[in-house]
Amino acid sequence: MSLEIKKLEKKFSNLKVLDGIDLKVSGGEIVFILGRSGTGKSVLLKSIVGLLKPDSGEIWIDEEEVSHLSEEKYVPIRKKCGMVFQHPALFDSLSVFENVAFGVRRHFSHYSEEKIKSVVLESLSLVELYGVENKMAFEISYGMQKRVSLARTLAIKPRYLLFDEPTTGLDPVITRAINKLIWRLSRKLKVTAIVVSHDMQCALEISDRIVVLDQGQIVEESNPQLIRTSKVPLVQEFLA
Amino acid sequence: MGFLNELGRILIFVGKILKTIKSKSINCPDLSRQIYRVTIQAISITAFSGFFVGAIMSIQFNSQLKEFGALTVLGGLATSATLRELGPLLIAFMLSGKIGAYTSAELGTMRVTEQIDAMRCLGTDPIEHLVVPRFIAIVLSSFILLLVGLLSSIIGGAALGKIVGGLSAQEYFNAIPHFVTGWSIALGLFKCLSFGILLATVCTYKGYFTQGGARGVGRSVISTALITMVGIVVVDWFTSYLARSLEFLWTS
Repeated sequence: MSLEIKKLEKKFSNLKVLDGIDLKVSGGEIVFILGRSGTGKSVLLKSIVGLLKPDSGEIWIDEEEVSHLSEEKYVPIRKKCGMVFQHPALFDSLSVFENVAFGVRRHFSHYSEEKIKSVVLESLSLVELYGVENKMAFEISYGMQKRVSLARTLAIKPRYLLFDEPTTGLDPVITRAINKLIWRLSRKLKVTAIVVSHDMQCALEISDRIVVLDQGQIVEESNPQLIRTSKVPLVQEFLA
Repeated sequence: MGFLNELGRILIFVGKILKTIKSKSINCPDLSRQIYRVTIQAISITAFSGFFVGAIMSIQFNSQLKEFGALTVLGGLATSATLRELGPLLIAFMLSGKIGAYTSAELGTMRVTEQIDAMRCLGTDPIEHLVVPRFIAIVLSSFILLLVGLLSSIIGGAALGKIVGGLSAQEYFNAIPHFVTGWSIALGLFKCLSFGILLATVCTYKGYFTQGGARGVGRSVISTALITMVGIVVVDWFTSYLARSLEFLWTS
């Protein structure tokens, strides 16, 4: 089980956002991708799940090159690679239960209602949410919405979890709780986690590897212990 | 060049909608919900405006017909004009203001809060799930609202025919079949369909491709309103012009 990116490039108009990214992530790893805003971190994640098509390069997921796949053929890849967005991105018109069940109904169409219910409740319990399934998405706090969003992704049983700034807009207490949750889920469910973040402290605490992006290129790649000795100015800025 | 680019993107988008309608089964409960929502949102204002449109037509024709002693044809003329021209135009403007702006803002908000991306990640085609039901609902609701607007305009026209011209409701209604021909109905329906398609295309396209947060949603709503208002007038001119040529063929 591995995810590999080779020479990935993506341009918007004349702006090169990804400039030859090479990255390999092994099964069960937690990799943090850090960088300033607009350096292509989210574009990288969206390219992996096929929301954006790269201009060139390759994306290998479990020995399959997926960057050229059509929208329809990408559906099974998106089942493998669950993405948690920067916004909770819950569907306003649906209850918490229906939000979490949404992907399950599509990806596991053979499941009975009883089975769907047990998957939804199990996913909510993984993010430590109980008794909220009948509330509408807009009735719960922002922090809870973020956790429901994570539960919705977990419900489709992905092998890779991609987080796009999972703690943006949250207070320090919930931020810590979410970070611990990512670590615990990754270890408990044995999924590979790629986390895009600005939070170096959290990366140092829970990641196996830290990758730093600047102007569409990887400028540093190291484990949390060694990155403290990095001479790259951007890394030092993040560590300061 | 920018205009042609945009036009090309709109045509590709409409192509995807048509392909989805053709190849995938439409979610009937979802479609019914959308039709109900669109119709309910616009029905009261359409009926209200329709009443006054009929009343205005009645007043305008009344003074002219009185001069020629032809007041008995008032109902026919007012209804025919409403069906062929003002009815579809009125419905289109009502829908543009209420439903067009609403749909564009709704889809735009879903786009900027990443709900559309989340839907794709969860294995669902947003064109099929979000756009197609709204597109069809707007087109079909146009016809329902045309009927409501037309009926209320007849009532408004008849009421004013009585007040201003002293014409009984019976006399007003009797003249309608003489003027409202199959051609008038066909033209009214065709205009309604054209305006409905135009509105459904613009508001779903603008909403679906919104970029740039809350400001982007605002921009999408404004451009939906502008493009549909101008587009409706242009399409109205075009269909009226086309109708003149086709009417000859129809009657012969």
